[in-house]
Amino acid sequence: MAKDKYRKLLRLGIIEENPVIVQIIGICSALAVTNLMGNSLIMGLGLTFVTAISSLTISLIRNYIPKHIRMMVQVLIIAAYVIIVDIFLKAYMPEMSKALGPYVGLIITNCIIMGRAEAYAQINPPIPSLVDGIAAGLGYTLVLLAIAFVRELMGFGTILGFRVLGDWWTPWTIMVMPPSAFFLLAILIWIFNNKRNGEVSK
Amino acid sequence: MRERSFIYPIIFMALITALFTFLLALLNHSTAQRIQLLEDTDLRKKILYVLDIAYESDEPEEIERLFNQDVKVDNSFEPPIYYTMEGGEVAAYALPASGPGLWGNIDAYVGISADFTSLLGLEFIKHSETPGLGGRISEGEFLEQFRGLDISSPVDGEYIIYRPAPGGNVDAIAGATQTSKSVRDLLNKDIDRFIIERRGK
Repeated sequence: MAKDKYRKLLRLGIIEENPVIVQIIGICSALAVTNLMGNSLIMGLGLTFVTAISSLTISLIRNYIPKHIRMMVQVLIIAAYVIIVDIFLKAYMPEMSKALGPYVGLIITNCIIMGRAEAYAQINPPIPSLVDGIAAGLGYTLVLLAIAFVRELMGFGTILGFRVLGDWWTPWTIMVMPPSAFFLLAILIWIFNNKRNGEVSK
Repeated sequence: MRERSFIYPIIFMALITALFTFLLALLNHSTAQRIQLLEDTDLRKKILYVLDIAYESDEPEEIERLFNQDVKVDNSFEPPIYYTMEGGEVAAYALPASGPGLWGNIDAYVGISADFTSLLGLEFIKHSETPGLGGRISEGEFLEQFRGLDISSPVDGEYIIYRPAPGGNVDAIAGATQTSKSVRDLLNKDIDRFIIERRGK
């Protein structure tokens, strides 16, 4: 019974209510860091960690948070965890920290985290909130990786830094630049929603 | 009861802020040294590269030892000028060069022989060029071109000229014209100023 519930939460976060392509939130970073798969992966994991752990924390203290200041509390908790991720990257993954630059700090303003805190963690028990946070984070990560896969492959001819396309391949400069993420994201949303609407109308 | 209290939210917010601030301060304090060491080592490695001093191991201690042994620093400039000595005379300088890039400022160090006839090396300390395009200025393929580059006969104060222009000595990066131009201009400007200043003395 409980297992089914968690499975449903995961399915909702990753597919049916995917934050990026269904709810269209958190897309600024999806456009910014997706020209290499490695960057996207670390960004996605960072966001998943922050969403999961801040949902858990908020849910744990939800009965003590005065309702009218709950947003202040949420932002405080989210900001603290993001700074932890930032310090961790600086100390142990300096190259990654340089590549992601200001985008790690900007996780604080990512709508997905506060969205989950408000919509779910604030009114649900800790463990489901944790799972819900992980699901939303993974949904975000997978979309980033999908976009980064196309951008890295066509822009550099590599996958996760490994060369897969030979010298005959002419890299597409546009894929390296941010605008290409707009097109790719839009195409992804289009395909996905088409498929989903098709299912609904049946 | 809690909902109506005036003082409860204030105490709650103060407590939770104190808790998380304490956590962050603790984490910051415990990693500060490590982060500082990483940054110092990074800069030392770049200066060594610029002055064409080979290092075998990437160990921070080894880099620090080599750096302290071979490289002298002139702190009267900001950022400082580094130099190496040989037989009581300055053998080479590593001078800072900076200027606007495509997205933000570019900070670099460039090594120059004491007789100002050749460059020893170039390395970027900070830049925010497009990853994969202008960002490739910090890749070996571009940087290696400046190793041992002859600059004894500048044309109108231009030491770096991109091929195929007449007198060209370096290849620009394809697809990153603006970044390449910025790098050329900031190098020419700062090298020229440095040489004129030193010659004048």
